[in-house]
Amino acid sequence: MNARVRTAVALVAACTAALAACSTNPDSGDGTGAGGGVKTGNGVTDTTITIGSLTDLSGPFAAGAAVQTAEFKAYWASVNADGGVCGRQVKLDVRDHGYDPQKAVSLYRSMATNVVGLQQVLGSPVVAAVLPLADDDGLYVGGMGWPSVALGYEVAQIPGTTYSLEGANAVDFLVDELHLPKGSTIGHVYFVGDYGSDALRGSQHAAQERGVKIFPQEITPRDTDLSAQAAALRQAGVSAVLVSTAPTQLGSLSGVLDSLGVDVPIVGNTPAFNPALLKTSAGPALNANGYSITAIAPFSHDAPGVRKAVELYQAAAPNGADGWEVPLAYGQGVLLRDALDRACDAGDLTPEGLVKAMHSASGIDADGVFPGKLDFTKAGQPATRSVFVSKVDRQVPGGLRLLTTMTGPSASSYPVAD
Amino acid sequence: MSDFLDSSRLPDLADRPARRHPARRVSARRVSAGRRLALVLALVVALGLPLFLNDFWLQAGLFSMAAIVAAVGLTLLVGTAGQLSLGHAAFAALGAYAYTWTAGDTGAAPAGLGLPPLLALVAAAGCGAIAGALFSPISGRLRGIYLGLATVGLVFVSRHVLVNASSVTGGYNGRRVEPFSVPGFSFSNSEPDYLAVAGVEFEGLHRLWYLFVLVTAVAAALASNLRRSRSGRALASVRDGETTAAAMGINVRRAKATAFTVSSAYAGLGGALMALAFGRIAPDLFGLQLSIDFLIMIVIGGLGSVAGAAVGAVFVTTLPLVLTEYGADLPFLAAPGSGGLDGATLSRFAYGAAIIAVLLFLRGGLAGGLGRARSTLRDRRRAPSAGADGQAQPGRQADSGTAKDPGTAKDPGTAKDPAGPADRPEHELPSHSAPAVPSRSKETSA
Amino acid sequence: MSYLLTQLANGVSIGLVLGLVAGGFVIVFTSTGVLNFAHGSVVLTGAYLVAALQPDIGFWLAALVATAAAALLGVLVNAVLVRNLAEHNPATAAILMLGVDTVLLTEMTRRIGNRILPLGAPWGADVVSVGGVTVPTARVVAAGVAVVLFAALWFLFTRTGFGVAMRAAAADGDTASMMGIRLSRTGAAGWALAGGLAAVAGIFLTSFPTQGVAPSIGLTAFAAIPAWVLGGFDSLPGAVAGGLIVGVATALTVGYEDDLQVLGRGLGEVVPYAVMILVLLVRPNGLFGRQAANRV
Repeated sequence: MNARVRTAVALVAACTAALAACSTNPDSGDGTGAGGGVKTGNGVTDTTITIGSLTDLSGPFAAGAAVQTAEFKAYWASVNADGGVCGRQVKLDVRDHGYDPQKAVSLYRSMATNVVGLQQVLGSPVVAAVLPLADDDGLYVGGMGWPSVALGYEVAQIPGTTYSLEGANAVDFLVDELHLPKGSTIGHVYFVGDYGSDALRGSQHAAQERGVKIFPQEITPRDTDLSAQAAALRQAGVSAVLVSTAPTQLGSLSGVLDSLGVDVPIVGNTPAFNPALLKTSAGPALNANGYSITAIAPFSHDAPGVRKAVELYQAAAPNGADGWEVPLAYGQGVLLRDALDRACDAGDLTPEGLVKAMHSASGIDADGVFPGKLDFTKAGQPATRSVFVSKVDRQVPGGLRLLTTMTGPSASSYPVAD
Repeated sequence: MSDFLDSSRLPDLADRPARRHPARRVSARRVSAGRRLALVLALVVALGLPLFLNDFWLQAGLFSMAAIVAAVGLTLLVGTAGQLSLGHAAFAALGAYAYTWTAGDTGAAPAGLGLPPLLALVAAAGCGAIAGALFSPISGRLRGIYLGLATVGLVFVSRHVLVNASSVTGGYNGRRVEPFSVPGFSFSNSEPDYLAVAGVEFEGLHRLWYLFVLVTAVAAALASNLRRSRSGRALASVRDGETTAAAMGINVRRAKATAFTVSSAYAGLGGALMALAFGRIAPDLFGLQLSIDFLIMIVIGGLGSVAGAAVGAVFVTTLPLVLTEYGADLPFLAAPGSGGLDGATLSRFAYGAAIIAVLLFLRGGLAGGLGRARSTLRDRRRAPSAGADGQAQPGRQADSGTAKDPGTAKDPGTAKDPAGPADRPEHELPSHSAPAVPSRSKETSA
Repeated sequence: MSYLLTQLANGVSIGLVLGLVAGGFVIVFTSTGVLNFAHGSVVLTGAYLVAALQPDIGFWLAALVATAAAALLGVLVNAVLVRNLAEHNPATAAILMLGVDTVLLTEMTRRIGNRILPLGAPWGADVVSVGGVTVPTARVVAAGVAVVLFAALWFLFTRTGFGVAMRAAAADGDTASMMGIRLSRTGAAGWALAGGLAAVAGIFLTSFPTQGVAPSIGLTAFAAIPAWVLGGFDSLPGAVAGGLIVGVATALTVGYEDDLQVLGRGLGEVVPYAVMILVLLVRPNGLFGRQAANRV
């Protein structure tokens, strides 16, 4: 080490020592203020409330996420036009993580201190990485899909039921409404992860309750030719098939099953169906045999909430795709708005106050967007065990025609906690 | 590590050329003194930064440092031994889970061993090394890009194991990572619950920052030393010509397997740091994209140099973040979903274009470009007294278009190179690694 | 027995398409030594062009235009980017292609959006049944096309002066250019062939049983990497054989998953890579590769 380096080190060390006046006692309080009798914290000023959205606008879910983002913006714009929430305008801060959990965690860090809650965190690996952090910080997280694992986090507000309860209800629907006899076999094609594997747990529970068998087939998003799975399902003699995958896989599977002459009902979870499938060669097969069990009302439902959602969306994005994302984003907006209103009424518009307010909410159905009155007062329990059941129908916008809402017996008995 | 060397047959590559040209030795020492100053300054900046950074940059810094450790390991393999790996995400995953399991609470679900975190950190590197060694039947026999493709399989196999061995890994939902701690002090938000330095509250991210700086510095220093050691030189000669290396008494297969093992240990350690930076790990965090990102880092940074790996790691980790954080709000952009050019799409384009631009225009990658800019500046400053040093520096003889940083890239044509073959830049990778890409100069002569 | 035959047929049928994709990797690699990480997005681009053009100009013309466009894309990438790299080595070229992949894939994701674009191919969702085994017509056509294309490529590479020049340029560029071979031409030809092949593969990859063009098709091309590697990096017959092996192994694993439960569910994803590693243990250059991957 030469003299120059030594001098530099000594100098900098001295500076650092001078700077580093350590202490282990907090000497100032948090920056919480009180405006108009309401306690406020991060993300809330006297005039604005800032909420965040960590979404995927450039990765694999970009298209669906863009629909939701457009609807979120339209919803909050309409809220603001009506005077906002708690006398404040609501600002939505959207950040794109491109399905990369590292990016998402860093963006979360930048957002966490500037927002009162997160309207949306999208994508399984991202949710797995961000939810624990939000839980540590006590920050509200609105939409993250419907994985059961989110029930373990106090800050998470699942918009409706869970994938597992969709799976259980699907089996109940097949047995009760489509009259599948005892002892029949139901195929279940699923993605491994917090979506498909969760749905499988539900269907396996229900199968045990209802005296049918589940024949599981695990696949990945890279599988786009499901010939081998379809042949295996035929070999197993299935009388119905549940599908917890993405639309590409649902399309391939129903097309191949049709070509093999396997004429059985095919029931998809909420994210499995996309109306664009009806224009493909699987369209006729899906139109004949396809059903969808959803946590959110289908696009074509005539409930006032869904109509309002569609109206907002079509004004904001006239050329946008129709699908379940529209009522979902609207429903999530309604849930967050309700929680903000409650927090305002309770005089505590801090992030912690928002989480507390969310857990005091019950009886919300967003004018028919949700299948029943959602109840968030019981920690660790799903807000509802009901689902919508729709038939695939190419005649209606969004491709799904509502048949009924139901809460099956196995859905009621499903043990959510481990 | 050096047991694949037969020292009686290995010529002393390190000293002989330098002895022949004593004047160059001075220049080498001067360069390294300047470099040391730069390193010390970098370290000091790294130590001071947490006083000024917000959580976003702290978190990005943690991910960057974790990436640096893994990328340095990969650059040892690619830049020094000429071997390519796309399996490093698997070793990182192994390291992450090894740390988490070893340090994990015995009572938690899934349970851990409850051992001290420091030991767990060592276990992470150790598990990486063992897995790397187990792969030696393939890593010792395949070369360059062939090995790179063969290792793609490791990522998928490890993911399958992680998802299915749920009693240890927590399955697809993953498991919580025990914060790093030494007795009496935890690198998290608690114990002590409040700690402030110069009026800035030091929370978990700040505390982890210093742990990461320490681990990264040690890892980088070890790697530099390794490259300069006899083993490093032996590896470089394997890279430059396996037959020649074998003739010099190097057990080539063993050398390649050893390089792979050391590199995997680094990946394991980097994985453990990633786990600490995330706080919770799941199999999805360690996909093929991570392997690919590691490779992008070292190539963008400039193959073969530790500094290059570090610069590349910071670039790849932070550029997309900066683009999304600050690029999404540009006024001329369309709203997402409108079909127009939205901010997220634009930042993705910019990232791809940045990769392409670096590779097209910066010889020696980012580190090479920075080094060249530095030496150009120095040349300009010294211009009036040019030649006062009494010797020519390798980079100066060439024109500005091909000038190289004297520290990281030396003209391989001159055997007088004082640092020996270990410092030979990777872009001189001999064509036997794969058929050579045709160059324009060849064509005009044809 | 007929179930076994069905699964074998499924494996052969997807394996052929994987072989077509793997063939593109082989050609770029043998002609310019580049590991083309952007091949998946070229496949996607080709398929997208067919789907986008066919409503206006019909499927066959659209297929022709898309094949030509993908070939042109390959030539441009080579001429504008690969040949102007600051440093010529395999790792740098591979990363360059990742940059290209990022740009292409982002553009495709933006254009396709939430849609699944139908290809409009005349074979639609038709199937051919022989002795109780059902195979999609698209795959029968694919088999025919693959045989014709690979025969033509084999003839080009081994029986024509230009093909020999291409191989020579790849094996030793310096010597080849001294012998008067124009490396720019052989490189361009390689990239053009690979691009065209990518578009053809894209058509069959998005035909029934897959339901049309969606961005995830770019990922599927990654499944062709084990096929390429285990066949041998520089062998066209190896690519086809590799594709078939991967296809059959995957189909059989999926088909008999119940008997393999000890190994965990979802084995279908791992099997191609496990087979690849096993083959490399025995034959480090792959099944049909030259003695290039290892020497000492």
